[in-house]
Amino acid sequence: MIKNVAPIVLLFLVGNLYGQQKGSVLIKNGTVITVTQGIKENTDVYIKDGLIRKIGGGLSAPKDTKVIDATGLYVTPGIIDAHSHIALDAINEATSPVTSEVWTGDAVNPLDISIYRALAGGVTISHAMHGSANAIGGQCETIKHRYGTVDPDELKMAGAPRTIKFALGENPTRVHGSGNKILPRTRMGVEQVFRRSFSEAREYQQAWDTYNAKKDQKGFKGMPPKYDLRLKTLADVLAGDIIIHCHSYRSDEIYMLMNVCRDFGIKRLVFQHVNEGFKVAPELAEFGAMASVFSDWWAYKFEVYYSTAYNAAILTENGVVTSINSDSGELIRHLYHEAAKTQKYGGLSDDQAMAMITINPARQLGIEDRVGSLETGKEGDVAIFKNHPLSIYAIPMYTLVDGVVRFDRENDADDMRIYVDPEEKIEVTLAVSDSDTDRCMQDTEFLFKE
Amino acid sequence: MKNIIKLTALTLLVLIIAPAFAQNAKGKTGTFALTNATLETITNGTIQNGTLVISDGKITAVGTNVTIPQGAETIDCSGHILYPGMIDGGTRLGLVEVNSDPRTRDYSEIGEVIPQVHALTAINPNSALIPVTRVSGVTTSLAVPSGGLFPGTAALINLHGYTPDQMFAGFKAVILNFPTTAKRGRFDRRSEEDIKKASEKALKNLNDAWDKAVQYHKIDSAIKETKSKETLDYYPEMEALLPVVRGEMTLLLEVNAAKDIKSALSWIKGKELKVVFTGVSEGWRVAKELAEAKVPVITGPVLSTPTRAYDRYDRPYANAGAMQKAGVKVAIRTSNAENVRNLPYNAGFAATYGMGKEEALKAITIVPAEIFGVEDALGSLEVGKTANVVVADGDIFETKTQVKHVFIEGWQIPMSSRHTKLYDEFLERSPGAKK
Amino acid sequence: MVKPKQSLYWCFMGMLWLLTLPAMGQTREVDLSPVSGTYAIQNVNIIQAPGRKIDLGTIVIKDGLILSVGKSVPIPADAQIVKADSMYVYPGFIDGLSHTGVPKPKNDPIDRSKIKDPGNPPDELAGIQPQREVRALLDPKEKSVDALRSVGFTTVHTVPYGGMLPGQGAIILLTGKTGDEMIYRDNVSLFSQLKGAQRIYPNTVIGVMAKYRDLYRKASYSKEYQARYSGNTPGMVRPGQNRVEEAFYPVIDKQQPVTFLAEKVLDIQRVLTLQRDLDFSLVLAEVKQGWDLTDKIKASGAKVFLSLDMPKIEEDKKDSTDTMNPEKEALEKRKLEMKRKYYQQPATLKNSGTRFGFSTLGTKNSDLKTNLHKLLEYGMSEDDVLAALTTHPAELLGVSQALGTLDPGKIANLVITDTAYFAEKSNVKYVFVDGKFYSYEKKKERRPRVEKTVAGTWSYSTETSNGTVTGKIVIQGDPGNYSGMVSNNFNGQTVNATGISVNGEQMTITYTLTIDANMLNIEITATLDGDAFEGTMAVSNFGSFPIEGQKDPGSKN
Repeated sequence: MIKNVAPIVLLFLVGNLYGQQKGSVLIKNGTVITVTQGIKENTDVYIKDGLIRKIGGGLSAPKDTKVIDATGLYVTPGIIDAHSHIALDAINEATSPVTSEVWTGDAVNPLDISIYRALAGGVTISHAMHGSANAIGGQCETIKHRYGTVDPDELKMAGAPRTIKFALGENPTRVHGSGNKILPRTRMGVEQVFRRSFSEAREYQQAWDTYNAKKDQKGFKGMPPKYDLRLKTLADVLAGDIIIHCHSYRSDEIYMLMNVCRDFGIKRLVFQHVNEGFKVAPELAEFGAMASVFSDWWAYKFEVYYSTAYNAAILTENGVVTSINSDSGELIRHLYHEAAKTQKYGGLSDDQAMAMITINPARQLGIEDRVGSLETGKEGDVAIFKNHPLSIYAIPMYTLVDGVVRFDRENDADDMRIYVDPEEKIEVTLAVSDSDTDRCMQDTEFLFKE
Repeated sequence: MKNIIKLTALTLLVLIIAPAFAQNAKGKTGTFALTNATLETITNGTIQNGTLVISDGKITAVGTNVTIPQGAETIDCSGHILYPGMIDGGTRLGLVEVNSDPRTRDYSEIGEVIPQVHALTAINPNSALIPVTRVSGVTTSLAVPSGGLFPGTAALINLHGYTPDQMFAGFKAVILNFPTTAKRGRFDRRSEEDIKKASEKALKNLNDAWDKAVQYHKIDSAIKETKSKETLDYYPEMEALLPVVRGEMTLLLEVNAAKDIKSALSWIKGKELKVVFTGVSEGWRVAKELAEAKVPVITGPVLSTPTRAYDRYDRPYANAGAMQKAGVKVAIRTSNAENVRNLPYNAGFAATYGMGKEEALKAITIVPAEIFGVEDALGSLEVGKTANVVVADGDIFETKTQVKHVFIEGWQIPMSSRHTKLYDEFLERSPGAKK
Repeated sequence: MVKPKQSLYWCFMGMLWLLTLPAMGQTREVDLSPVSGTYAIQNVNIIQAPGRKIDLGTIVIKDGLILSVGKSVPIPADAQIVKADSMYVYPGFIDGLSHTGVPKPKNDPIDRSKIKDPGNPPDELAGIQPQREVRALLDPKEKSVDALRSVGFTTVHTVPYGGMLPGQGAIILLTGKTGDEMIYRDNVSLFSQLKGAQRIYPNTVIGVMAKYRDLYRKASYSKEYQARYSGNTPGMVRPGQNRVEEAFYPVIDKQQPVTFLAEKVLDIQRVLTLQRDLDFSLVLAEVKQGWDLTDKIKASGAKVFLSLDMPKIEEDKKDSTDTMNPEKEALEKRKLEMKRKYYQQPATLKNSGTRFGFSTLGTKNSDLKTNLHKLLEYGMSEDDVLAALTTHPAELLGVSQALGTLDPGKIANLVITDTAYFAEKSNVKYVFVDGKFYSYEKKKERRPRVEKTVAGTWSYSTETSNGTVTGKIVIQGDPGNYSGMVSNNFNGQTVNATGISVNGEQMTITYTLTIDANMLNIEITATLDGDAFEGTMAVSNFGSFPIEGQKDPGSKN
C-alpha cells in the first residue's frame, strides 16, 4: 500500500538536494569490508562532508551527526557498475558507424526510477554508456546515483575521466552493413573503420597543431582547418584523454582492437562483455587491457554461444583487471549476487569477488583514487548489508552517496518517482518488465523489421 | 624443415587432444550409496549423517540406519548436503539454442489457437544448454511454448536422455495466455482505450474458442455414450482442448497484471478445470483472492523489475512469499533457457525477501511436483521416488555452493558442460602469450 | 484549322474551366477598405498597462498608431466611432512563440533513395535550415492568424516548422495582405529545437546536441577567418560561402538570440547546457516544467516564455460512488499535485524575480482564456497575467518602445472585451492590429451541418515502431457508400479498403496487409477536422500508432 508520506518525503528530497549535497554520517560497529585493506570487525566509518575521514574502533563525531548502527551488518564500498544504460533518454545515435562527437551526458535523465532501484541494490556509481550500434559510438558519462534531484549535472561525477564506447562484431555490422548497406558488414570492415578514423583524427590534430603554432606569427595568412567535433574527440582518444570501452565478444575481434590500439599508441582500453576474453587472457594481460564482463550471460546470440561463466575467473587468474557489469536495469539491482557467481564459477576469494564490483570497475573508469574501496580520504559512497554481500541472503539496508543516505530500507517509501506524468493512466501495468532486456541496441529498433 | 617439425608437432597435439574433446563423457547408471550426508528430504525434514541409496533409477533407501547393498558404488558425502533435483516450473530449455537466431527458436508457432502443437516434439536432447543447466542441480524443467492465445502444449522433462521420450517426465499441460489489459513493454504506445479494446477482443476470441471446445466435448461425449457411428471431423485444436475442458488435463493460464488475475479468476469460475496460474507478477496485489480460489501459482522470474514505476523496488523479490503467506500454493520458475541454472538464486531471493528458506526450497521441488501431479516420483528424497538427486557442498541457494554430483533417474551425470570444458582448457592456456 | 497540339490545349483549358466552375458559383469575399483609418473608442474602461486604468475614457487611433488616450480627448472629425460603451480595452496580447501564419508543411515522406549515407544526409532532410526566413513562408490567410487574433493576440513571435534548426523567427502583427506586410521585425531569432531527424543523422537528442555544437563552432571559426579575410590581405585563401554557418554569425555576435523550444524539465536543462558550452543569448520558449529550475534559469540570463498548454484539472471528481482504494487514491493525489505545479509555475517564476511572457505554440485556442483565468487561482494577480501578455513579452522581445501598452505613439494594437477580460464570461468583441479594425461582435454563425464528403485523396503519416510509414488513401463514392484504396511505403502495397465509414467527425477505415505471409488487419480510427484527420492506426498484434492525414489540395471535395 502506498504510504501517504511518500510525496512529502520526495518534496523534501527534491527541495534539498541542489548543489551536490555532501553529508556527514557515523557508521558504528559494522563488519567493514574495505576491499583493499582487508576486513575489519566491529569498526566505525566516519564520513564528514562527503569524504571518509576515519575508519577505526570507537570513533566519535559531532553531536548532530547522523549515526547508523551497523552492529551485525556488513559495510562495503558503494557498488560500481562499469556498464549500464540507466538514467539515459537516448542510447544509440545509430545513423552512422562513427559518432564519437555524441555524448550520453547530454541525455542523462535524473528522473529515471531505475536509479533508485540500483541504489536499493547498493550501487552508487554507474557508467551510463552509449549503445553498441556503431563501431565508434558516443562518449559516455560516469554518474553518481544522487537520486532526488531533477538536475542532470548533479548526477555527473565531476572530474571522472572521459570515456567512449566502441563496438565490435554483430551489432555494428548488422546495423550499418546489413541495415544501411554501408561499411562495415564484416569484422574486416570494423577494423577499417577504426584505422581510417584514427588516421583522419591524427591528420586533423596535426593540421591544428601546425595552425596553432603559426597563427600568432606576424603576417600569418593561413586558414584554420575545418573544425570537426567528431575528429576532435578521436584526437583526444589518441592523446590518451579518453578511455575506450569496447563492446566485444569474440576473441579474434578483441585481439584485432588491441593491435589497432597498439599501432596508434592507445593504451587505455577496457573491453566490455568480452565473453571470449578468456580465450585471449594472456594477450589482454600483456596489453594491460581490462575486462568488464557479465557474470553468466551467454547463448542469447551466436557470438556468445561459445562462452563460459568462468570467464571472470580465468581473466582474473591471468592477471586481467576484471569487473562484473549489469548492462541491465534489472541486473544492476543485485550486482553483489552477480559478483558472488565468480565464486561458484572459478572459486574466487571474497576479496576478489568484491573487487569485481568495487575497486576493479573503479579502475576501469579511472576513478580508483576516489571510490571503489573504504579508505580514509575516499568519497563517502557506502553500501550496508544485512548478511554478507556475497551471500544469497544479503539484503542491502542503506546506500550512501557522498555521505548522504539515498536508500534506507527501513524508511523506504513505495512511490519513489520524482516527477509523475500528469496524464498517466494508473491502471496500466507493464506485463513484461522492460528494463531487464539488453538496452545496448535501444534506439535502433527502426532498422530491424523482423 | 622447421615448418615440418611444427606441423608434425601440431598433428600430434591434435591427435592427443582430439579424443578428449570429440567425446563427451556419458552418464553412468547402477547402484549408488551416498553416505555421511545431510539429507534435505523436503517432505520428512533434515536427516544428519544419513545415507541415500539409488538403485535401478529409484531411491531405494533414505536414513541413518541404511544397509548399503552389495556392489553399490559408495560415494562419501561427508560435509555435503543432498537435495532432490530442482524443478523449474516454466522455461524454454530445449526449445531454443541461440535466441537471436530464428532458425534455432522452436517455442513459438504460427497461430492463435494451436493447443495441438507439442513442446515435447521440439525438445533438442543435445542442446548445449542442457548440461550447463543440470550440473547446477536443476534436473527437471517444464518446456513451455509461447505466442498466441493457446500457443501449444507444454511438457515436463528430465534433463538427461537422447530422445524426447527418454526425457519426458510425465506431465503435459495446455498453455493459455490470458488476454491482458497491460502494456506489453516500453514500446507499447497504445492508449488505455486501445488496450482495453484489444483485450476485450482477445477475451471474445478466448470465449469463442472455449465455447467451441465445450461444444466439441458435448458432441464427443454424446457420440461415445450412444455408441453412435457418427464421427467428428478431424479438428486437432478441439481434440487438444478436449481433456482440458473435461478437467483431465491441466491448463496453465499465464496472467500477470492484478486486474487480469481478477478477470481470470472470474473466467475460471464455474468451469470444472484443473487450472494453474503462471507468471502472476502482481499476485501480491490480489493474494487473498488467489488463496480463496485455491488456484496454485507458478511465479517468476523472481529476479525482475517491478511492474509499475511506483511500486516498491523489492516487489518482485517479495511476490512469491507474499502469495505463499496468504495461503497460495506457490512454485517458482525462471522463464529462461540458457540460464535456467539460476533457479536456486531466484528461489534464494524469494527466501530472503519473505518466503523463508524452507518454503522457497519447496517452491522448486515438491510444490511444482504436486502442481504437475508427479509428486509420487519427483520433488523429495523418499524411498520409491525417481532418483533425481543433487549433492552440494553447502546450502543449494548460496551462490558459492558447488554442486558435486547430480543423479537424474538414477543416472550419474558427468559434471561437465561447455562452460566447465572451456574453463579447463583456458584457465592456463597452452600456448600462453608466447608460442 | 486547329492544329492537333492546339486542340489539346483548348481541351485542357476547357477542363480547367470546368474545374473552376464551382468556385465561381460561390459568393466572393468583398474586401472593401474601411472608409477611414481613424477610429475613436469612447466611454470605455482603458487598461493602458498593468496597474494603469482609466475608467470610462477615450482612445483615438490614427494611421495605425494610438493618437491619444485619456479621460476626455478630442475626437477628430474623420474618426469612425467604435461602439464599445462600458467595454474594456487592453493592449493587444503578445505571443512569445508559435507557428502562427505559417502553413503546416505536408508530412511528405522522405525519398530515402536520395539518402546514400544516413550518417551524412543533405542538410534540409536533417532539419538543418537556419538560413530559412519565416517571412518567405508567411500566409496572412492562414487560419491560425484569425484564430489567434480572435482571442486577443495581435503580435506574435512566429517561427518556421522543422527539425533542429527550422530557420529564423520574426515578430509579426496579425494583419496585412502579404507576408511582408505582417512583418514587424524580421530575423529576430535563430529558432532551435532538440528534435532529431527521422532515421538519419542526427536522429536522437545526443546527436542533435553534438551536431549543434559542431555547427556552432564551425561557424565561429569561419566567421573569424571571414573577418580577417575581409581585410583583403593578399595571399589569403578565399573562404567558401556557407549559408548554414553564416546564419550563426549574428548569434555568435550576440546580435540575435537563439530561441529554443524547451518544454520539459530535462529539455530546458539540455538547452541550458548548450548555452553554457557555446555562450549564446538564449530565449527559452514554450516552457512547461520549469518550476524546479528557477535558480538555474536565472543564472543563465535566459529570457522565458511559459507555455499556456497545461494539463486539465477536473475539479472535485464526481467519482464518489466508486470507492477508491488507498493505492489509487495516493496516486491520484500525486497526479493532482503534479498538475497543480503547471498552474503554480508562473507565480513561482514571478516570485523568483524572473520576468516572463507566454507562448501559445502547443495550446489549443479554446483553452487559452480558460488557462489564463485559472492562473488567478494559483498566485497570479490579474495585473501579473496581463503583464505576461503585454509589457513583459514586449520587453523580452525588445519591442516595448512600440508595443505592449496603450500609450500615444505606440502601434494601435488593442483588444476590446465586452466585460473585464478576467471576468468569467468575457468575450473579445473587437481587435485592432496596426490600426486595422477586426470585429468579432457576432459569433460566427454555424452553417447547418451537412455531411461533408471524405472522397478524395488523403496523404497520411503514422509513427510506427518501425519508424514513420506514409501513404495515400484514395476514397471514392458518397457518404454512406464509400470505397477506396490504401497505399503504404512500408512494403509498397496498395490494397482495397474493406470498410470506410464516417459518423459525424469519426472516420473508420479498415484494410488488410499481407506481410511475409502474415495477414495484418489494420483499423484506422480518426477524427476529421476539415481536410485533415488525426487518430490511431491499430495493427493486429502490433499495437496502435498515432496517425495523421490531410486531403491533397485539388483532390475531389
